[in-house]
Amino acid sequence: MSDIIFYVIAGCVCLFGLLSVTARSIFHCAMFLAMGLLSIAGLYFYLDAQFLGIIQTLVYVGGIVTLFVYAIKLTTHIDDTTIKQVNAQLLPAAVIVIFLFMIILRLFAGADLMKLVPSTASTSIAQVGEAFMTTYALPFEFMSVILLAALVGAIVIGKVK
Amino acid sequence: MHITHYIPLFPFVAFLINIFWGRRLGIGSAYVALAACGAAFIFSVKTMLGLQAGDGSYNLGTWLVINGRALDFGILVDPLTVMMLLIVTFIGLFILIYSIGYMHGEDRFSRYFAYISLFMASMLGLVISDNFVMLLICWEGVGLCSYLLISFWHEKAAAARAGLKAFVTTRIGDTGFLIGILLLFFTTGTFHFTDLPGLNGPEWLLTLSAILIFTGAMGKSAQFPLHVWLPDAMEGPTAVSALIHAATMVAAGVYLVARCFPLFAAHPMALQTVAVIGAISALGAASIALVNNDIKRILAYSTISQLGLMMLGLGVGGLSAGTFHLMTHAFFKALLFLCAGSVIHAVHTQDIWKMGGLMKKMKVTGMAFVIGTLALAGVPPFAGFWSKDEILVTAWNNHHPVLFAVALLTSLLTAFYMGRLIFVVLFGEKRSDTHAHESPATMTVPLIVLSLFAAGAGFIGSPLKEAGEHAGPALFIMGLSTLVSFAGLGTAYLIYIRRLELLPASVLTSLNGFRTLLINKYYCDEIYNVVFVKPCLRLCQGSFEFDAKVVDGVVNGVGSFVQQCACMLRKVQSGFVHNYLILQALGLLMIIVWLIKI
Amino acid sequence: MIPLGFYVAISAFLFCLGIFGAMTRRNVIGVLISIELILNAANINLVAFNKYLGDKTGLGEIFSLFVIAIAAAASVVGLVLIIAIYRNSKSLFTEDFHLMKE
Repeated sequence: MSDIIFYVIAGCVCLFGLLSVTARSIFHCAMFLAMGLLSIAGLYFYLDAQFLGIIQTLVYVGGIVTLFVYAIKLTTHIDDTTIKQVNAQLLPAAVIVIFLFMIILRLFAGADLMKLVPSTASTSIAQVGEAFMTTYALPFEFMSVILLAALVGAIVIGKVK
Repeated sequence: MHITHYIPLFPFVAFLINIFWGRRLGIGSAYVALAACGAAFIFSVKTMLGLQAGDGSYNLGTWLVINGRALDFGILVDPLTVMMLLIVTFIGLFILIYSIGYMHGEDRFSRYFAYISLFMASMLGLVISDNFVMLLICWEGVGLCSYLLISFWHEKAAAARAGLKAFVTTRIGDTGFLIGILLLFFTTGTFHFTDLPGLNGPEWLLTLSAILIFTGAMGKSAQFPLHVWLPDAMEGPTAVSALIHAATMVAAGVYLVARCFPLFAAHPMALQTVAVIGAISALGAASIALVNNDIKRILAYSTISQLGLMMLGLGVGGLSAGTFHLMTHAFFKALLFLCAGSVIHAVHTQDIWKMGGLMKKMKVTGMAFVIGTLALAGVPPFAGFWSKDEILVTAWNNHHPVLFAVALLTSLLTAFYMGRLIFVVLFGEKRSDTHAHESPATMTVPLIVLSLFAAGAGFIGSPLKEAGEHAGPALFIMGLSTLVSFAGLGTAYLIYIRRLELLPASVLTSLNGFRTLLINKYYCDEIYNVVFVKPCLRLCQGSFEFDAKVVDGVVNGVGSFVQQCACMLRKVQSGFVHNYLILQALGLLMIIVWLIKI
Repeated sequence: MIPLGFYVAISAFLFCLGIFGAMTRRNVIGVLISIELILNAANINLVAFNKYLGDKTGLGEIFSLFVIAIAAAASVVGLVLIIAIYRNSKSLFTEDFHLMKE
């Protein structure tokens, strides 16, 4: 039963990922991205990482994708589907990517990844929060600085002169 | 008293003064050169007196040490050196005086005296050096100055070409000379002239080096087959021609053979070569002079011929005969050239058929010309008679009948063409309406002094005269030689003054072919042109094309290849984000592939 | 039981899709979307390995959180840049931006 859920989620991830890259309309892309990210949040839930799943939903779908939609609305004509959306290097890019994909799969196929069993132990939110405040306090603070810098930078750049 | 090494320094200092401050000095540069030459002459006389008092060669110090053998800055003082010093400085003095008048109003007046001073400095350095290396350095200096002076009027294309020809032709000889010196050094390990008698080494190597050294003399002394530069050298100022022909340039070759005489004397093959080359030059040049119409060129061919005679004299073993003739020849040839210069100065042409009857208008020049001619023709008791006679006697005594005959025939031809020259130029009727006038005193005084020496130098006798050389009474030869010179002059008189047809017309026409051959100087220039010059030019052209196409092609090819590559590589740097991205992905792929393979 | 390889495969697929999109999309916003996919692919790997290797401290999850924060910052800056560029050149296509090579 749980396997079927996984396959459904995994199928959603792949499908929406593909659509978000290949859709003609950039607005549709953003929407498919949102769906894909939600599916990935589902994967996190399936992997007993509930906190991460929630954060994924909140930050990505609620924040970033919204931002994307804003940017799209602010800039381009979304309805114009006659405009070509891919550039001239479609074919070489496809070849490179397929080759890369094969290599990655081959790499992991040789590492006995199929035999690993998921451990029953799961990380609690408390543990994660404690780690942020103790072991990873410094990176955590750096992260907040980076976010602040991004915020200020975005305002400065985006300001109409 | 070691003063000999100062002699070349005087003209050299004069050269430095004239080349740097000549323009400011103006006419004064002539006096600078004159003073230097006079000082050199006084020192030469002192050297002579010192030699008689027992002074000799000396060393100024060691220059180089090669393989443990020292090469010294040696000064050689012996009768030959002293004779050359006196000739160069004495004749040089009068040529300088003459030049003041001759070059008057010339644009590069001071430059001329600078070159002449350097010329004399080189020549004086040449005769006092006691080893081949110092001699070669001065030798090249002489060659350089001859180039500068022959093409002194370099605005004239012919003069520039003549200078180049002189330089290149003598250079061929110099190359042989250099090889000869090095061959001698590697065979015997010495550069010094004093070591020349009694050298040990393989016979053929020494003979070869002697012949190679002789090629240097051939180039400088204009001996066949390197004689072609001398007639063309007439493009230079006439005073320069006088200096080249009498005292400096061409004398260097004869001096070299005389200086290396022990080496030649020890190897009959080499000596034989000298004699044969001398004989060919003597007879060939004399025959060309018979038909030439240019007053200076006739004298030039006469010089080649007389130098050939000197070489012949040396070649038959007469060291003193050859050098004696060198001395007397220096006087009367300088005289003749200065006379020719005076005549040209007066009538502004060099074609003898446009002159005539000049004796009446130019008394001093004419008299000097006649004296010079008599000396050259070998009429007793003028200087040329004694020295030429000595060569003939030596040839006879040393059993060289063929060479003796050649020398005698040359004497006959010499007398004839000199007779032709003076009868056409000085006597007879006037042929063109030029207003000839006597030259200024600066030009006539040297003529008078040199005339005295041309007449009387023979009585001095050779300073090298060795006891017993005149053992056999040579009255017969003296008579023969006198007869020959009178025969030559007389024939010329009959033909050019009396206008007698000595030979029937049929014989004359049959000689026409030979005459054409002579007028064209045995086609030497043409043959050289076809055999050497043209292939050389073709080689140069080929090299040029090789350079232009292959070498430049490779260089340009590398350049354009790099440029092409750069153009291709430039496309990578397109400035478009998506291009950079795909390259990044490609790089990532390659890194992964590389990591896996490891 | 789902083997770990499946997660890895999904992650690889998403990663390759992201790269492909970034290389081929003409629209700059599309490129940014593709980059989000790449980051998410990395996150899936981190979380999956964390679960399968049984790490009690939750290192993979913590790293994923960092990645998400970075991605958010990157997107914000990227989108603002895009808006700024659009304001100047009235275009969103990568071919129109070649300020790097004038």
